[in-house]
Amino acid sequence: MASNFNNPVFPSLPNDIPLPLPTGGMDVLLVPVFHILLVVSFLVHIVFINVLLGSSVLSVINNWIGHLRGDKNYDRVAYLLTTPVTISENMGALWGVAPLLIVSVMYTAFFYSASVMNSPQWLHIIWGNVVAFLTSYLYKFSWHKLENSKALHITIGAIAAILFLSLPPVFMSTVQLYITPSSWAPNTHFWDVVTRPDVIFRLAHFYLGAFAVNGMFMLLYGVYKRDKGQDLEAAKILIRQGKAWFVVPTVLNLFVGTLAFFQFPNYGIEAFYSNGFVIFIIISVFSVLVALGMLIKEFLNDSIPTKVVYISALFLLVTLGSMGITRHGMRISLLEPAIAQMQKQTQEYITAVQKDYEEAKSKPSVVDVAEASHLSEGEKLIAKNGCTACHSKEQKLVGPSFKEISIRGYTAEKIVSLIYNPEPSNWPEYSPMPPMANVPKEEAMKIAQWISNLK
Amino acid sequence: MIDYPVFEMPVLGHRLIFAIDAILHVLISHGAAVGGSVVLVLSQWWAIKNNDQKMYDLTYKILFVLFIAATAIGALTGIGIWIHANIIDPPAIGSLLRVFFWKWFVEWIVFNVELIFLLLWFLTWKQLGWEGRHKNIKFGIVYAIASWLTMVIITAILGFMLTPGNWLTSIFPTQPDYVASLFNPSWIPSLMFRTFFAIGFAAAVSMYWTWWFTKDDIQLRERAEKFFSKITLLSIPPTVLFGLWYYSQIPQEAKALMFVAGLTTKYVGHKEMLIFALLGAFALIMLAVFLFYVKPRGVPFVLASLMMVSYVFLVAEFERIREFVRKPYIVYGYMYAHGIRELDVAHLNNVGVLKYAQFVPVQYRTVTEENKVKVGEYLFKLECRVCHSVNGINAITKKVKGLDETAIYYRIGTLNSPATPFMPPFVGTDEERKALAAYLASLVQDKNTQVAKDNKGGQ
Repeated sequence: MASNFNNPVFPSLPNDIPLPLPTGGMDVLLVPVFHILLVVSFLVHIVFINVLLGSSVLSVINNWIGHLRGDKNYDRVAYLLTTPVTISENMGALWGVAPLLIVSVMYTAFFYSASVMNSPQWLHIIWGNVVAFLTSYLYKFSWHKLENSKALHITIGAIAAILFLSLPPVFMSTVQLYITPSSWAPNTHFWDVVTRPDVIFRLAHFYLGAFAVNGMFMLLYGVYKRDKGQDLEAAKILIRQGKAWFVVPTVLNLFVGTLAFFQFPNYGIEAFYSNGFVIFIIISVFSVLVALGMLIKEFLNDSIPTKVVYISALFLLVTLGSMGITRHGMRISLLEPAIAQMQKQTQEYITAVQKDYEEAKSKPSVVDVAEASHLSEGEKLIAKNGCTACHSKEQKLVGPSFKEISIRGYTAEKIVSLIYNPEPSNWPEYSPMPPMANVPKEEAMKIAQWISNLK
Repeated sequence: MIDYPVFEMPVLGHRLIFAIDAILHVLISHGAAVGGSVVLVLSQWWAIKNNDQKMYDLTYKILFVLFIAATAIGALTGIGIWIHANIIDPPAIGSLLRVFFWKWFVEWIVFNVELIFLLLWFLTWKQLGWEGRHKNIKFGIVYAIASWLTMVIITAILGFMLTPGNWLTSIFPTQPDYVASLFNPSWIPSLMFRTFFAIGFAAAVSMYWTWWFTKDDIQLRERAEKFFSKITLLSIPPTVLFGLWYYSQIPQEAKALMFVAGLTTKYVGHKEMLIFALLGAFALIMLAVFLFYVKPRGVPFVLASLMMVSYVFLVAEFERIREFVRKPYIVYGYMYAHGIRELDVAHLNNVGVLKYAQFVPVQYRTVTEENKVKVGEYLFKLECRVCHSVNGINAITKKVKGLDETAIYYRIGTLNSPATPFMPPFVGTDEERKALAAYLASLVQDKNTQVAKDNKGGQ
């Protein structure tokens, strides 16, 4: 591997789509816009997804605690959390579309190749998602109906949460695979990818991050409720749980994140450093440490000042922003040499295609050849109408030879009607002929006469 | 897609999994979102105008169903169309994105408005209650407009695939004309056709659910059914008119494929079947809607259900025909269904497709006597698998049954002929064609047929 440090090899790269990037020639102006849109829209998407995953799980946990302790306040917290689930499942899917759109246009062949290699499992992000949505709606809208069948209700919620949690491994496999084209082989497939250390570490980092972000969301939600004077008991639970769910996963992520970073291919890490993206990791870590410090200091204080919560949320936002740029920086660092190779091979391909296209265009087509040759009219017509796809004059091909047909002694009229409405029972040993509705009537007649005269 | 990896979808095949997602999406996007928003806003407005609180509550119940369908299934299967296209025909969807990126981006913004206002409309309905009705209906109106705008953009792309018009300003390098691509000939007629169809369909869906929700209130049923059936009846004439305009914009070659598209090659000899089926479904719908209009309490649930089934059948059949008549292309006149551009054919016939098959193991990129069956299998995956499965739906084994290797070889050479004008040509060298023939023959080898024996005897 050491020799590949700065010379990555990409054994299997498709060509780029032979159409220009949709910038109308203003690449200088619009390519940076693509980059910004990608980072921003993906961040919004991922924050919604974090809240979706975290709140789905915590609604079920609180529902259960409420049931075990017979405490209505936990039940209330659980119910309150279903609204952010509804909003974030919808908005999360929606804001996933924009990055999908931009990645598909900027990194087309990379993203699509990885999607195909991970298929059909990749389709889980649609169908697994549909079932998860429906189950989560069932959980939310059956809340009052199933008040006295909590076991069933909690099970429904748990199924929805597990289904949502089953989507990230599929996403992460495709994301990690498309940015590491040096790892592609002809037989690369989903189950190889999802068990790769880089995917597993990034997944662990993602799940922990999701619960941390959702912890911050619960804290904000609790403080908002408290300050409005609504659901005071539930607000207290939200504040306590929110702090814990932010602090513990965030501390763990300082380690998991570091390990995840060093799972990337060496050449990518090298380029990441030399491109200067490392500054964003420093900002992320510094900023999240500030947020952690603020909340640990107030960890046991139920009446944590609102201002402290907002400021720590702001620091988390800075972390999320620079993590987003870090992530994009790694993508750029990994894909730059692969894009260069792809553009080179695509250009060579297009040059060769153009040459052969122009050469072929100057040559006459098969039909023209038949037209110009000294063939009889019948032979010209069978070439023109495509009969020769399956029949030849003398030889059995897909269908019987014209000679063999002529021996049957059909009238010309009968042959015409058989052209339009074949009767496969006449030739049981051949595969059935489709009706040839496209043959003009007078040409069909000439062909029929030509066949009749062969015998 | 010769240079992309290939995935295996046994039995169902690539085409069917795409169709399931796409048809589900069309049913919900038309019935619940585009049409449903208009119909339910009208119904909410009508309830407010007549001070009819029962109708108001009924509208919410129907909205509840449509909300679940639109958000959980409609939106996700819409994204699903992309995801399926990504893995089934990557060069095609990749090309469409290059041409339509900004239109899609605008659609995404509109999609935001659509979803946010749907959430507002639905989630605040109960909170605002009857007192807040004037405020709530405004959310519905914005939702309806945004839903329709998403359709405006997507029909442009669908129209482009079938009737791209004069969209290339240069072929080397390939340079699209972005404006001409948008204003392609079938865009506006197909948009208007779908709009009115969606409204009629959504009103029928509302009739069905009204029946369901008004078991204890026959008077409400009478009012509501009459109201919704009037919408469907009014929507039919414009649907037909715009449908005819749409039809007139379709290329002649595509029109010629109409029957085989509707009936499959197996039944294309029985054209009357398609006509009976389509007219039958239409007649059933008309009967049900008319009965709902004149005698709402007399309509049996069976008839309401049959009306729904007929609608589903018409939608599925229409989308199938629309997709099929575009063949052999995925973008008309530019790219074949197997993802190879017309421009590429001459070159690939010279040097072969295996040269560029990045995901075929290197030892199978040159044809030898020993490996030709295996190479043929890879060629099948690269060029045929997009439509044909091996043994399942549209099985290739059925198409080559009874043919020996030589016959298959000839047949491969004339796929895009008047016999099967919907087939793209086989692209590749003669050697590759022989390898594909060897593989296909090996699939049916055991069933020694008369033809095979005869041909062996003749040699």
